[in-house]
Amino acid sequence: MLTIFLSRLLRMVIVMLGISVITFLIFFATPGSDPAARIAGRNAAPETIAAVRHDFGLDRPLYVQYGLMMDRLFITRDLTSFANRGQKIVPTIMSAAPATLSLVAGAAILWMALGATTGIIAAAFRNRLPDKILMGASMMAVAMPVFWVGEMINLVTQSRLHDTWAFSWVPPLGYVPLTSDPAGWFFALVFPWICLALMYIGLYGRMLRTGIIETYQEDYIRTARSKGLSARRVLLKHATRTAIIPIVIMFGMDFGVLVGGAAVLTEVVFGINGVGRLTYQALKALDLPMIMATVLYASFFVVVANAIVDVLCVMIDPRMRQK
Amino acid sequence: MDLMAISKTGRRGSALARLAITAAMIPAVVPALAQAQDAHRGGTMHLMAVASGGTLDPQINYTAQFWQLYSATYDGLVAFKKADGPESNTVVPDLAAEMPTVSADGKTYTFTLRKGVKFSNGDDVTTEDVVASLRRIFKVSSPTSGSFYNGIVGAEDCLSSPADCTLEGGVIADGTANTVTINLVAADPEFLFKLSAPHASILPKGTASKDMGNTPIPGTGTYMFTSYDANNSLTMERNPHFVEWSVDAQPEGYADTIEYKFGGTEESAVNAVMNGQADWSFDPLPADRLAELSTNATDQLHVHAQSAWWYAPMNVNISPFNDVRARQALNYAVDRNALVSVFGGPALAQPVCQILPPDFPGHEDSCIYTQDPGDTWSAPDMDKARALVAESGTKGEKVNVVTEDNAASRGVGTYLQSVLSDLGYDATVQTVSGDIQFTYIQNTNNNVQISVTQWYMDYPAASNFLNVLFGCGSFHPGSDSSINIAGFCDEEIDARMKAAMTLGATDPEAANAEWAKIDNAVMEKAPAVPLFTPRRLDLLSERVGNFEYSSLFNWLIAKSWVQ
Repeated sequence: MLTIFLSRLLRMVIVMLGISVITFLIFFATPGSDPAARIAGRNAAPETIAAVRHDFGLDRPLYVQYGLMMDRLFITRDLTSFANRGQKIVPTIMSAAPATLSLVAGAAILWMALGATTGIIAAAFRNRLPDKILMGASMMAVAMPVFWVGEMINLVTQSRLHDTWAFSWVPPLGYVPLTSDPAGWFFALVFPWICLALMYIGLYGRMLRTGIIETYQEDYIRTARSKGLSARRVLLKHATRTAIIPIVIMFGMDFGVLVGGAAVLTEVVFGINGVGRLTYQALKALDLPMIMATVLYASFFVVVANAIVDVLCVMIDPRMRQK
Repeated sequence: MDLMAISKTGRRGSALARLAITAAMIPAVVPALAQAQDAHRGGTMHLMAVASGGTLDPQINYTAQFWQLYSATYDGLVAFKKADGPESNTVVPDLAAEMPTVSADGKTYTFTLRKGVKFSNGDDVTTEDVVASLRRIFKVSSPTSGSFYNGIVGAEDCLSSPADCTLEGGVIADGTANTVTINLVAADPEFLFKLSAPHASILPKGTASKDMGNTPIPGTGTYMFTSYDANNSLTMERNPHFVEWSVDAQPEGYADTIEYKFGGTEESAVNAVMNGQADWSFDPLPADRLAELSTNATDQLHVHAQSAWWYAPMNVNISPFNDVRARQALNYAVDRNALVSVFGGPALAQPVCQILPPDFPGHEDSCIYTQDPGDTWSAPDMDKARALVAESGTKGEKVNVVTEDNAASRGVGTYLQSVLSDLGYDATVQTVSGDIQFTYIQNTNNNVQISVTQWYMDYPAASNFLNVLFGCGSFHPGSDSSINIAGFCDEEIDARMKAAMTLGATDPEAANAEWAKIDNAVMEKAPAVPLFTPRRLDLLSERVGNFEYSSLFNWLIAKSWVQ
């Protein structure tokens, strides 16, 4: 167990090291990336730019700059932004993380529950009306871009019908910390959750339906049926359990990527200042320290989520346990 | 400089006289007015912006977004008057008790410090704070240290080694007489404007000589910053040690608290203001909401001309715009009315074909690139433009227009591309992130031929446009900071600009007349295409009363109330 853990940890460190070096090199190869003039400000005198360049260590060799940046990111943790002078990177990400985690975790619960229900019901009513309705709706959910859905939700809940009984309870856009006001946190996140989950419900529902239908062809399902098990038991206990494994693996990837910042469109549309928005702004401003930190943060979550998924798969599928 | 000081005194004199007459006529109204003002005191103002403005350090931050806040949180020795309209361009004494006495040669300014002013941490403002603050401009490498304050004696040494800056012989404090004397290398008619900028704010002498970032520095204004998280929000509260000393320089604010939230989109900010969840948003209103707002929220909209211009600098050192005829041709061909529509219509922009904005010092209506040259622009002259292109022999060359990635800049760029194609060029548009584009187009190594950009005044003086944007001194080949984007350096015009600045010290009116001629002379060489003068549109919630607009700080937040 310990060796598995250590080897995973080593792999994670190597992956993150590689990503950081690549990010760093791409930055310096980008035309117009030199931050000195932007840090110094509009119409700064050449002397001022030289002073800033020296202050930020931009006049030193690249490997020294890389070492200093890693030191300030992980050891002293006082790395500051290039675009937002004086903004400390590590605390900024730490304060943005809860918003993204709340958004993604809530949406994940929603899409796993509804996605599984959709898939199971559709499989149970294969090729009949409920299946067709659900699959049609899923197709639409997958096809609608999340930023458009978000803006439409806002148009209805924040503008056109905001003053009616149906939506007057919807709080202003933005994130309310769970610790300061749990009810406010919940209400502020209801629509962002729905918006973010919608596509995944459709996607997971379709995947699971196909998986279950395929599993129905397996010998052990026929055995279970011939032993006289009820159709419901066959569906839930035997077919779904096998068919859900690819879904769980996919979930691990999606969850990690979203927590790492891929929920940026939902975050921006709903005014949730999370890690995704930070990454987006950092990329727009070519803010290397922030890009570096958010990219490493994202890769960390992808690696961790994958590890957790591996454990989950073993729990679900007895065949993996015996190996 | 002397004359300028006199004209200031003159203005103040007449204002005093008017005040005296008014006070004598209606003594009974005064208490009623005071009561009304008390009734408006209190409450919380909610502001919004898509993103924050960066560091909170007033000596470093160079954004319109935070300068607006500094106008109510920090003070300099002098300040721009906190008033509505053109009056906001005048300089009034702030932490100085009165306007400084200036020596006959215009090189020595003596300020007497106002007594009894305290920082928000409770400390008294002393002459030592003034000296330390002026030194700190150099120690923290303030963006304007080399352009605004390099004329102070000793500044050269401070620029070359910021850490040891003393400004020896440049800034001298006399604690017993409570005066501060500033010596300049040469007379500078714009020096008081420069001292009124937030970069010359007076801060406590103990303030660390580094970018303070998100940590608020105590100030003297009516509000103080109490918290700042660049990714989420900013809070300003009343400064407990503030006692109003001059309603012109630092008026007492009405609201108790000002909360500024960062995030979301321009679209959602409009909804929030219309729903009463926020009172105002910093970002430009989305153009597709204007029609709806102008019918539904007429009373909540406020339009103001800005001392700014959108322009397309053309690189005069590389083909095809190294030929003056090619540059003139584009100036003749651009339809300013079409550009105004691209930017959102006449409510948001005004056609322009010269450098100094309307109502700006030195501005005289003139347009040489139009159907019938005269005072104003009327229509493009495509025949003349085509003839000029043919003459220049540049037809068919490749031209790349570099724009920012926002809708307005892209729209302008696409329009320029169509005009260039019409003129026979092989034109393309390249869009660069707005945060990068401004430094990218300045660097000659990037070989940008033509770009779309804007310039907003730092202070109301013609040189802030002409000399800064087209002076030889602002052209630094190979540097990201070369604000003379066109790379235009005409020695004769440059000499005239220097002479006009010197003349401004003794005869501002004659100098402004000369600036108008210089504006024309630069336009004849056409290093840029003036596109339009942008207007600022502010949408306020129904709760907000008393909107006053300063041409430097935009909406004066402290002068509005929310109840």
